[in-house]
Amino acid sequence: MMKDRVVSVLSNTKVADGIFEMVVHSEDFPELIVGGQFIHIALPSLAHPLRRPFCIANFDMSAKTITVEYAVVGEGTEILSRVENGTELKALFPLGNGFSLDADYKTIALVGGGMGVAVLPAIPTTWQDKDYHSFLGFATASKAVLVDELSKSGKVYIATDDGSLGEKGFVTSLLASKLAMIKPDAILCCGPEIMYKSLARELEGMDIPVFISLERRMGCGVGACLVCNCKVKTPKGDKYLRACVDGPVFPMKEVIL
Amino acid sequence: MSNLKVNIAGVDFKNPIIPASGTFGFGREYNEFYDISELGGFSTKGLTLLERDGNANPRIAESPMGMLNSVGLQNPGVEYFIENYLPWLKTIDTRIIANVAGSTVDDYISICDKVSIDGVDMVELNISCPNVKAGGAALGIDPKNVEMITRAVRDTCRKPLMIKLTPNVANIADNARAAEAGGADAISLINTVGGMAVNYKTRRPVLANVMGGMSGSAIKPVALKMVWQCYNAVNIPIVGLGGITSYTDVLEFMICGASAVQVGAANIYDPMASYNIVKDLQRYVDENNIDINELVGTLKVD
Repeated sequence: MMKDRVVSVLSNTKVADGIFEMVVHSEDFPELIVGGQFIHIALPSLAHPLRRPFCIANFDMSAKTITVEYAVVGEGTEILSRVENGTELKALFPLGNGFSLDADYKTIALVGGGMGVAVLPAIPTTWQDKDYHSFLGFATASKAVLVDELSKSGKVYIATDDGSLGEKGFVTSLLASKLAMIKPDAILCCGPEIMYKSLARELEGMDIPVFISLERRMGCGVGACLVCNCKVKTPKGDKYLRACVDGPVFPMKEVIL
Repeated sequence: MSNLKVNIAGVDFKNPIIPASGTFGFGREYNEFYDISELGGFSTKGLTLLERDGNANPRIAESPMGMLNSVGLQNPGVEYFIENYLPWLKTIDTRIIANVAGSTVDDYISICDKVSIDGVDMVELNISCPNVKAGGAALGIDPKNVEMITRAVRDTCRKPLMIKLTPNVANIADNARAAEAGGADAISLINTVGGMAVNYKTRRPVLANVMGGMSGSAIKPVALKMVWQCYNAVNIPIVGLGGITSYTDVLEFMICGASAVQVGAANIYDPMASYNIVKDLQRYVDENNIDINELVGTLKVD
């Protein structure tokens, strides 16, 4: 059975310009969480009834905590940013398929763009025996998050649009420039769709499996309401699948970007 | 003695709580959270003769105490439903209402025939989907068309027939009378209220389809008013919906004339919503020792 849980907020702090990190705890904790899954949080506001889906940035099975990183982009996240420690929130987790790593994938390139980097730390937490290389892209240095966290799991390469941190330019170009050296068995990626298009161009002609996590406005989060549709190639032709239960992770070659 | 059982057009429901079409899929997702046989019944995702992809993304936006959607009747088609979902639904002890839609009168006639089979307890005719040209909205607005489409499907629909009415009309009581005149066994109302969400920064609509249908608590006053108007206009039973999120909402709708209710947006906010409403309503009738049917249409306006 699936269940709706109540989590209590342990911390909710600003970690970069307009970006917050929230850690929540629940004694009633699931037995399994994998990187790439998400948590669907109800806001403490009757006027804002839709839950907000956030990727599980990290988790701790023994402490029974989930970490979420979010940018304040609208009314909902603004309300969330003012939630105080100890507040109890309804939350559905873990939802979605998450990433799936074959045993023979040894070297993994993690690629994040903007808030998409928030998906990445839970991956080394889930699969600890891999060799990770993280490629993080931000608009500017003041928007950079999770750099230290990802440094614990391997080398981190950074690109910013304005060159204020790391290299100036696109993170996808930075990744492309290091591919021959790193030779990743798989690339796991989360960011805006324009980044996936750029990644697809950079990797053209190469045979590296790429898995991407899609972001959608979401309703129920459990597969019933069909609002989080993503167009995906299937044996029956191009179909709208649900980001919440069929995804949010898909092989990039199957997604119609 | 306390009682939650209701009867709509000859169909017995163990309680008056029915998740609304489009908010409950085909029941499987919510059965992962609780035994859906606890519900009076549920109305399936809108079915069409052929599979439909639905509208582009985004399909959902929030509004104060509500939401807008423009899914556009994405569904696997009626044959797929019959082959893949209905066999499992037959094993569930709850009433199954097949919600059906079409583009033409012939579509409606044909799909009503297809779903009039074992396992389906009732047919809900969606002539009010605001999100697709093919959703029958044109058939649901003019009372003359409401009567015409109801009469047209009456022969092939061999199950109790419920017509789902849109609030986006001049006078919903006229549409209710038209459904009754055409031979409907019941009416359900209201479908979503037409609406929009706009991003002032980008000057773009939030929904890819520009316009959508509004639901949730924000529309409850509109729905209550229309249920009351229709209750005073027709003799067939009314299934009320529009912004129900609690058992007290259910009581209000029944007092205004609904014989049962549907719960829509609340399922999207909270997977346990319909189940919790059943439990709360049971507690209420037990504590007050009432038969829920006694409430129907008891609004005091003198």
